[in-house]
Amino acid sequence: MLDIDSLSRRFNGRSVLQDLSLHLQTGEYVAIVGESGVGKSTLLNLIAGLDRPDGGRLALDGVDYSGLDEDALTRLRRDKLGFVFQAFHVLPHLTVRQNVALPLWLQGIEGAAAEAPAQQLLDAVGLGERAASWPRELSGGEMQRVAIARALVHRPRLVLADEPTGNLDPANGSRVLALLGERIRSAGAIGILVTHSLEAAATADRILRLSADGLSELESGEERSRDA
Amino acid sequence: MKRRGFLLALAAFPALRAWAAGQAGAGQEQATAFAPVLPGRQLVFPRDHGAHPDFRTEWWYATGWLKLADGSPLGFQITFFRVRTGIGEDNPSAFAPRQLLLAHAAIADPRHGRLRHDQRSARSGFGRATYAQETTDVRVGDWRFALVGDSYRAEVRGEEFAYALNLRPDAPPLLNGKAGFSVKAPDPRHASYYYSRPQLAVSGTLSLDGRAQPVSGRAWLDHEWSSELLPTAAQGWDWIGINLDDGGALMAFRLRDHRQGTLWAAATLRAAASARGADGAGQRAPASEILAPEAVEFVPLRQWRSPRTGIEYPVEWRIRVGRRSFRLLPLLDDQELDSRRSTGAIYWEGAVRLQEEGREDGPGGRGYLEMTGYGERIRVG
Amino acid sequence: MSLARVFLGSLARRRLATLFSLAAIVLGVGLGMAVQVVHEAALAEFARGMRSMSGDADLQVVGARGGFAEASYAQVAALPEVMAASPIVEIDAQIAGGDQRLQLVGVDVFALAQVTPALLPRPAAASPASGVSNDGERFAVLADDAIFLARAAQDALGVKPGDTLRLQAGAGEVALRVAGDIPGAADNPRLALMDIAAVQERFGKLGLLSRIDLRLAEKVPPPGSAGDSAFVARDEWVAVDAGTARARVQALLPAGVIAEPPQAGESQASRLSRSYRVNLTLLAAMALLTGGFLVFSAQALSVVRRRTEFAFLRAIGLDRRRLFAWLLTEGALVGLAGGIAGAALGYALAAALLALLGGDLGAGFFAGLTPKLEFEPSVTALYVLLGIVAGVGGAWLPAREAATVSPAQALKAGDEAALPGGHGHPHLALLVLLASLAACAIPPRDELPIGGYLAVLGLLAGSIMLLPTVAATIARHLPARGSVPARLAIARLAAAPGHAVVAAAGVLTSVALAAAMAIMVTSFRDSVGNWLELVLSSDLYLRSGRTASSTYLDEDLQRRIAAVPGIASVEFTRLDQVRLAPEQPPVALVARPVVPDGSELALVGAADPAASGGEPNLWISEAVHDAQGWRTGQQVDFPLAGRLVRMHVAGIWTDYSRPTGTVMIDLDDYRRLTGDRLANDAAIRLTRGADMQAVSAALLALAAPGTIEVAPPDEIRALSLRLFDRTFAVTYLLEAVAVAIGLAGVAASFAALAAARRREFGMLRHLGLARREIGKMLALEGALAAGVGVLGGLLAGGAIGLVLIEVVNRQSFHWSMDLRVPWGSLALFALGLVALAALAAVLAGRQAMRQDAVLAVREDW
Repeated sequence: MLDIDSLSRRFNGRSVLQDLSLHLQTGEYVAIVGESGVGKSTLLNLIAGLDRPDGGRLALDGVDYSGLDEDALTRLRRDKLGFVFQAFHVLPHLTVRQNVALPLWLQGIEGAAAEAPAQQLLDAVGLGERAASWPRELSGGEMQRVAIARALVHRPRLVLADEPTGNLDPANGSRVLALLGERIRSAGAIGILVTHSLEAAATADRILRLSADGLSELESGEERSRDA
Repeated sequence: MKRRGFLLALAAFPALRAWAAGQAGAGQEQATAFAPVLPGRQLVFPRDHGAHPDFRTEWWYATGWLKLADGSPLGFQITFFRVRTGIGEDNPSAFAPRQLLLAHAAIADPRHGRLRHDQRSARSGFGRATYAQETTDVRVGDWRFALVGDSYRAEVRGEEFAYALNLRPDAPPLLNGKAGFSVKAPDPRHASYYYSRPQLAVSGTLSLDGRAQPVSGRAWLDHEWSSELLPTAAQGWDWIGINLDDGGALMAFRLRDHRQGTLWAAATLRAAASARGADGAGQRAPASEILAPEAVEFVPLRQWRSPRTGIEYPVEWRIRVGRRSFRLLPLLDDQELDSRRSTGAIYWEGAVRLQEEGREDGPGGRGYLEMTGYGERIRVG
Repeated sequence: MSLARVFLGSLARRRLATLFSLAAIVLGVGLGMAVQVVHEAALAEFARGMRSMSGDADLQVVGARGGFAEASYAQVAALPEVMAASPIVEIDAQIAGGDQRLQLVGVDVFALAQVTPALLPRPAAASPASGVSNDGERFAVLADDAIFLARAAQDALGVKPGDTLRLQAGAGEVALRVAGDIPGAADNPRLALMDIAAVQERFGKLGLLSRIDLRLAEKVPPPGSAGDSAFVARDEWVAVDAGTARARVQALLPAGVIAEPPQAGESQASRLSRSYRVNLTLLAAMALLTGGFLVFSAQALSVVRRRTEFAFLRAIGLDRRRLFAWLLTEGALVGLAGGIAGAALGYALAAALLALLGGDLGAGFFAGLTPKLEFEPSVTALYVLLGIVAGVGGAWLPAREAATVSPAQALKAGDEAALPGGHGHPHLALLVLLASLAACAIPPRDELPIGGYLAVLGLLAGSIMLLPTVAATIARHLPARGSVPARLAIARLAAAPGHAVVAAAGVLTSVALAAAMAIMVTSFRDSVGNWLELVLSSDLYLRSGRTASSTYLDEDLQRRIAAVPGIASVEFTRLDQVRLAPEQPPVALVARPVVPDGSELALVGAADPAASGGEPNLWISEAVHDAQGWRTGQQVDFPLAGRLVRMHVAGIWTDYSRPTGTVMIDLDDYRRLTGDRLANDAAIRLTRGADMQAVSAALLALAAPGTIEVAPPDEIRALSLRLFDRTFAVTYLLEAVAVAIGLAGVAASFAALAAARRREFGMLRHLGLARREIGKMLALEGALAAGVGVLGGLLAGGAIGLVLIEVVNRQSFHWSMDLRVPWGSLALFALGLVALAALAAVLAGRQAMRQDAVLAVREDW
């Protein structure tokens, strides 16, 4: 479970996040929506350990990581977190399977021990047959499916997705979102999807709106109705 | 070993008598006027103990038997050659190689099984090599052979051995040939001035196997000088110098032709001490007998083949001198000196025992035998 | 390591930049390696020669080249510590009427056999196996007309045993019979051997020795032992201490004659050529440094391009250290590959250099040697390592930069402009520059100008650090007018000087190098030219052959020369070499008429000649001043003819022709003090209206053909300068390479950045800029970047040139020279370089410009 208590972050004296709290249970998949500049990325960076809060507490599975140093945070990301980016960040000089295996390599898992789970996840995202391809041979949607596989290959406790469909056309986007939700749920991880699109957010179990006042739950009824 | 290079350099100076003798007949192209050896010259001592630099070749050649403290026998030899090269007679350089001095020393040790030997050589000058004309005093580096008072002094420092010996004569020089005029061939042109000092009483220090010990013994000295010694027909020669137990002495040599036949021979037999009076001392010349070529016979009895060179040497001999006959036996068989790798000169020179034949109870003797020209033809003039 | 794929795969993706970095390192390593290997080969060959010449000698007694009194020999040889002493008279003999020279060694074979048996001669006809005795050759090793030539020397001269060989002696000839060979030194093409007495007599060396080779006894009889006790067992002898023995030998020697280990000769030879070699190696190191900068630019640009990639990797859990280590590994890999290829290139170059220029690369230190190339594992390893160091060093800053980047920020794309080194460190730069100034004051260590080299490095580093500031300043002062491409280019330089700096660093290094060398060589050449002008002030010069040791003009010939019609006056010169201290190279002694105030000499500082009737004047060259510490006005004891003569140091002068030092004394003083009345050279003044041709002909007719040479001063000057140019030929090669590397840097950095700027180009095309105009912009950017580098390089180069002249050469060659800057060629060179850089930038950007503008804008990754 992820516990965020009274989190605050300031930039150059300007308060971006203030006294923000959020508690997510294992298996929960939430979307966070909000206007541009409201602090979505800041929140995401704080949760990812890429940035440190000025106040408050962050804990994953009860372990506080808001005060950890750079190296410990890096280890946390490597072992417990998975990422899906808007810009895919699929390395062009690695094959599809190697890209997926990358998080395992970073944990020191090599060879077949890394390739087998990678292949498994590629199968799961429907790219099992493209495992040996180079990224340049893939479409954008396929690229992001590779990224999803990569975000989950090392069985992370928390998966963070930052506008994963921002670079995709609507059809591909919804397919990728569906896949992301399905994979996160089946992996039993906590999922956080950050997006400015309510449509995209609707694929999550809950939708939270980030505003200057903090996080607030969007009424599921009003949003669900637009969905489907 | 420096020695190999040394011999290579000289390519011409094996330290042995026959070779040096060969020099004497050599090199007609040099215009140098060497002093001739003529009969009738009276040898005058001590002047004639000294060097005769006008002559081409000269040597002082001491051989003998030594006894260690434990009684075990050794043979020793020390030779100083003087060679007038005929080169650089007019060169004002202090290095002009007009006179060369070569010294050679050997120790024959039956326990060691073969000879130990060493040599020194230098051109005269700068104190590196000197000879005196007044009396015997020749030096090469720190080697020396000199007549000091009434005894000879031999000093040798080699890599394997060193010794300082005093050799004390018991009688005036024994003149070989006609009062010291020793003919070497039918043609009297080939002759030398030659006298011997037999029965030298030896005492001194020998350093061997890292240990210095007193030694005593009996030795023989030859002093010979010449300008034209050997005829061209000579293939090699055999020579003995024996101190007889009775105080007498025997020198005999023969020159062989290329078929190993005798070309020339001669001998000198000094009478026993008893024949000169019971005390055996005194400086009166003891009676001696000079034998003509036909009265001297060398008969080989036993051959020894060198494992190194494959050359066969007659190491046991019967030697007939006038009516007397002697049998020669080597102290050890292997007394071969091999300088084949450089000059090709290989010869045998070593300590021998002598026994008069038919008189097993009669006096024996000990001395040295030298044999050259049994392998390849020795380089002679 | 699977992670290797993540990083090394990226190397393969930017092949061009990698290739440029690689090429630079290959060249740097290759050149350094070649210089080193050639020199090692030459030194090894020299040492081999020395060893075969000195054999088993433990000590050598040496003196003036002309020789020392032979009386020492008897005394030294008689020492109990001396087991064997081999007296040597050595002569640099010239073939009569020819150019070839022989190292003619006069020996006593009896002594030689004990010390240097490898040199023993072998008479040709003395083959015992033939069974034919040849008594004529029996004493050949002693005969005064017999000469023994090493087989290679026989081949080189085209003679065989039995032939006659004519050598020049004085201004005459000696006919010798080739009597055999020297089996132990068969492949020495210059070695000849004769009996020592014959050499003494026939080459005018009576009473003199050049050398005594000594073999020390291992043990001597205990002190005080005499008579029979001297024959005690060897076990009781006492060991000889080499130092004590050397002292005992030295105590017997007259002034100027020195006992030293034979290795001293080797180290002297290596010292003689070391300065030259160190200068070349420094140049090669500079090439390597430039290579390092190229790696830097390539890595810096690649890091910029891969910023988001690194941010992503960091986000998914790659820690900072591993990122840093992997980026260094990329550099190291380029360095390793470059090092290995460079080592191979080095050997190939060395082989070519040896074949073309000889073991001293044309500098004349090892004339007559034919060194063989050998694989040197340690040197090779060192240079491969240097390649790696260059690679790692170049990658260091970019890697640090990449590792410190905040992933959260970099994950947002479009952060390309943030180039490393964008701001520079002007304060640190000034500090480093000041420190280099201070480094110049560091005295040389072991003749190596450490301080000078530190200063050179500091100047280079400081100016590179100052580069961003300079670039920004230049951009600020450039007019913001003109065509759009020009304005764009200038704006880019002003806004992102980092890019220009990366491209310019390599240019700066190579330009600094080339400029410094050009200034140094020009100054040197100019000084030599002026010096020759001063030195060659007579109308005609005459010399007796090429070798001062065996060719000379005797008194009779001197008189006849002076009597040749048309000659107004003649000044004779006597040449010798003297030894001032053990284990130091010999110093040349020049005796010729010197005007009392020394005004004809190329004086450094003021002269202070002794009052007439005082001590004889000694005029010392700068090298002697440095080595001996003698000062003008000082009284010194100078070894002449075996004794110490009190002399007055009258002044210091420059002698460009003899790097190990020269002392000059007046010929009359010399003759009075030594009794040596021979001469080697003559400077001739003609009477008014005399026909130089006729006088030359008359002079040549005085001696056997080929034994004396006559030349007018301009001919000698031209010849000297030709020799000079040959000596520095290699430095030009190194300069060219450095410049090529610098240009490659410009091309590489533009190529690397052009790809990243595709979107920018596409946008500009959209806005209506023609492709040609983008090319113009790129050309201008290249020219600006190179211009900044060239400017910085010229400034740094000027400073480095000064350091080379005033510190490095002053300390290692002991020469002072006047600064002369080749403005014309430097300007031409700078302009050419800027133009080439512009061209390189355009060529590098071409690929990106060709792309479809619309596609380029839309493309995201």
